[in-house]
Amino acid sequence: MSVFVAVDSIDKVFPLSGGGEYIALKGINLEIKKGEFISLIGHSGCGKSTLLNMIAGLDLPTEGIVTLEGKMVKQPGPERMVIFQNYSLLPWLTVRQNIALAVDEVMSGYPAEERKQIIEEHIDLVGLRHAVDKYPNQISGGMRQRVAIGRALAIRPKLLLLDEPFGALDALTRGNLQEQLMQICDRYQITAVMVTHDVDEAVLLSDRIVMLTNGPKSKIGGILTVDIPRPRQRMEVVNHPSYYSLRSEIIYFLNQQKRIKKLRAKKTETIARHGLEKVNLELGFVPLTACAPVVIAQEKGFFAKHGLDEVSLVRETSWRGIVDGIAGGYLDAAQMPAGMPTWLTAGGNQEQPLPVVTALTMTRNGNGITLAKHFYDKGIHNAQALSRMLLESTDKPHTFGMVHPSSMHNILLRYWLAAGGMDPDRDVHLQTIPPAQMVADLKAGSIDGYCVGEPWNLRAAMEGVGFTVATDLEVWNGHPGKVLGVREDWANKYPNTHVALVKALLEASQYCADSAHHQEICQILASRQYLSTNVEYIQLGDPQNITCSLETPMREYAHHRFFGEGMNRPSRTEHLWMMTQMARWGEIPFPRNWVEILERVCRVSVFSTAARELGITDIKYRREPIKLFDGIPFDAEDPISYLNHLKIKHDFTMAEITLDTRPLIAA
Amino acid sequence: MTTTVKLNKNGTKNNPVLAFWQKHKNDLIPPLVGVIGFLLLWEMTSHLPGMRLPGPSSLFTDERTRILLLYPFYDRGGLDKGLFWQTMASLGRVAQGYSLAAIVGISVGILVGTQPFLDKALDPIFQFLRMVAPLAWVPIALVALQQNHPAAIFVIFITSVWPILINTTEGVKQIPQDYINVQKVLQLSKTKFFFKILLPSALPYIFTGLRIGIGLAWLAIIAAEIVMSGIVGIGFFIWDAYQQNYISEIILAVIYIGAIGLILDRAIAYLQKLIAPGQ
Repeated sequence: MSVFVAVDSIDKVFPLSGGGEYIALKGINLEIKKGEFISLIGHSGCGKSTLLNMIAGLDLPTEGIVTLEGKMVKQPGPERMVIFQNYSLLPWLTVRQNIALAVDEVMSGYPAEERKQIIEEHIDLVGLRHAVDKYPNQISGGMRQRVAIGRALAIRPKLLLLDEPFGALDALTRGNLQEQLMQICDRYQITAVMVTHDVDEAVLLSDRIVMLTNGPKSKIGGILTVDIPRPRQRMEVVNHPSYYSLRSEIIYFLNQQKRIKKLRAKKTETIARHGLEKVNLELGFVPLTACAPVVIAQEKGFFAKHGLDEVSLVRETSWRGIVDGIAGGYLDAAQMPAGMPTWLTAGGNQEQPLPVVTALTMTRNGNGITLAKHFYDKGIHNAQALSRMLLESTDKPHTFGMVHPSSMHNILLRYWLAAGGMDPDRDVHLQTIPPAQMVADLKAGSIDGYCVGEPWNLRAAMEGVGFTVATDLEVWNGHPGKVLGVREDWANKYPNTHVALVKALLEASQYCADSAHHQEICQILASRQYLSTNVEYIQLGDPQNITCSLETPMREYAHHRFFGEGMNRPSRTEHLWMMTQMARWGEIPFPRNWVEILERVCRVSVFSTAARELGITDIKYRREPIKLFDGIPFDAEDPISYLNHLKIKHDFTMAEITLDTRPLIAA
Repeated sequence: MTTTVKLNKNGTKNNPVLAFWQKHKNDLIPPLVGVIGFLLLWEMTSHLPGMRLPGPSSLFTDERTRILLLYPFYDRGGLDKGLFWQTMASLGRVAQGYSLAAIVGISVGILVGTQPFLDKALDPIFQFLRMVAPLAWVPIALVALQQNHPAAIFVIFITSVWPILINTTEGVKQIPQDYINVQKVLQLSKTKFFFKILLPSALPYIFTGLRIGIGLAWLAIIAAEIVMSGIVGIGFFIWDAYQQNYISEIILAVIYIGAIGLILDRAIAYLQKLIAPGQ
């Protein structure tokens, strides 16, 4: 379909009363197709209403143009009818007169009889026959808005613009009106743009949701396509698998905007002290058992010991928050899934290569693959059985949760599925879900299984909703779990801070590895500001111990490993293997300059300096090949032929990834 | 038992005055107590030694006043007329001056309200003239118009036009953005905008102006008539009575003036209800 409405690089600048100006919108581009329903969502003051007004022609852009069917919008007109939040009915006219005023004026070319018919038709359309001679102040808010909708539709606009149409209504009325509006829009194929701050409303009504960032200089932060089929029912859309992911996507976006606003207001200044370039660090983490080194470094004072006495831990609920924090420059460093530095560097995030380095592997193991209980009841206890079952029952799509494309969970789950003969994209559906949400989704039945770090496998087993079908011990024992990641430009700017940070975390890892401290660590992790969970779900221990006494099959519990020989030093071989896996599934192109990328991602020098200064000299680089459960050898000298040998894979691409270090922490 | 209750019920129902009193006594007793108390206090004060102001009872006890009170419609020609005729003469002047003020005030108000340039140009003049007291206009009017009657009408006009004009201007300027948006989006014609949006939207403001205006007009006429000797009118009646020391007549006239002012205000309020219901 062709473009119906085009918003072309619009800027809007408001002059301020005290001189100066306020740039409300900057560089907005939007194309709307005929018959599409678009929602504009964002925090108050983000300029969404301003944008709507510019489409309506009530306001003109400072730069750029809006076109409707190729014609530039210069002034308001009835072909772009607006439904205002406060209804904008004329209180001295009855319901019928209000509609008639619009119809008689706009459709003055029609014979009077026909106009009358249109008026009556639309009174019936919005179901106001019984109140037709009442004045607006004699009817309820919901009815008033129905009059406004009837008035707008009666003049047959090409484009319907709605400015928070249901904002002032109670929930029940709002729901009914949303449904009515949706039916009318479906029936008449109306093109509409709606401003709203109600996430559910946006998902219910829209074909696409345009999310605006906070002002000043608001821009489009993202556009979501709602793939829920029409006609939609308000009570049924919530059951559609996309509903909650769309919803959480929007809420994540809105929360992120709020945080950015807060961070902007905070105005961080770099504090240099103790010979370190920066001691006030914002350190991101995701609440998992694997965050123990980060938490312990803070709680047991390892950061302060190494001079970093103003570290604040920033809890993110999903890895996406970590990505945005690192990309946006408001996190100094973060706990990352092992694949993330490579993934970011190779342009996994919005195809924008962002050089990120890692100088420390903080944890290994601690992950598992959980399947819903009903698989167990059907006798599916391993990948082969699962594969057989999936191939036999193709009618129902099976959804598995993982936490991030670049995390070990995604990589291992895909590897495990593929080794079992399943194509992780064709035979099942993989969905990104924040770790803490996995058990709830499994319980609700919206996913069939997941691969995630502890405590979420153990918890599913203990709550009886799922069982651990495979742990790290059966996929890749000793794989890297979480690493410390910082931006390359940050590492170059604050080299001493980087070393101090690695030292603190390395010592914390050492502390975590001592079983004498486990009780204490579990208590700390379970507290509200970290995992906020029942302490019994958190298990630390000797990875060789059988502590998890699930019912059969008896599983060896893949405990986290925090410290030990060859554990913490970043390994290029491992990162290369992860790179091949991410390329295998199309998360990133395989870099032609993979040697350069690896060199830059793995800051072994920082690790070595840190270890030496700590006096830990017995940490050697463990030169041993990667051993996965299926026994396929990985040749670190020739990753491309390894990739080619794998049977189930995507058509991966090769690309030269040009890295230019941008000066980013300028603010 | 039941029959007695029934009888009682019927008894109250059969007496509408009693029923009305039962229903509204809580609203009626306080003002009655207030008014009677005030009159009693006044009456008592008037009997104090050295007090020259007569009490309310003088309306009956004083013979001249009693005649005026009981025969408002007599007409002995010249200035010697009953209070009804005196009042009507004053009201007639008010009607003329006030109508003129309403016509000029509303039309100029709309013009000024819609033209920001005119608004800025004329606002200081309006604000200045508004502050001139009605009595100050009397000599100017007499000098300019030479005669009593047109001068009186002019004074009424010039006193009552400002609140009407300024309120109308404000009403037109204060048309809610919502209605302006409706006009813009529907691209309503000028006449339709005027009659369907501008005028109805400004009506409450206009009526506020009209109500203030009628009050001022009534105040002005009394003042003007006192100064303009030798005409029929309740203002001059008071002045005349004062000159001749008929104090109780003044009291009677004052009661008339208050009552008429109240009625005029109510009348405009009623008119507003009639023209712009529910606003």
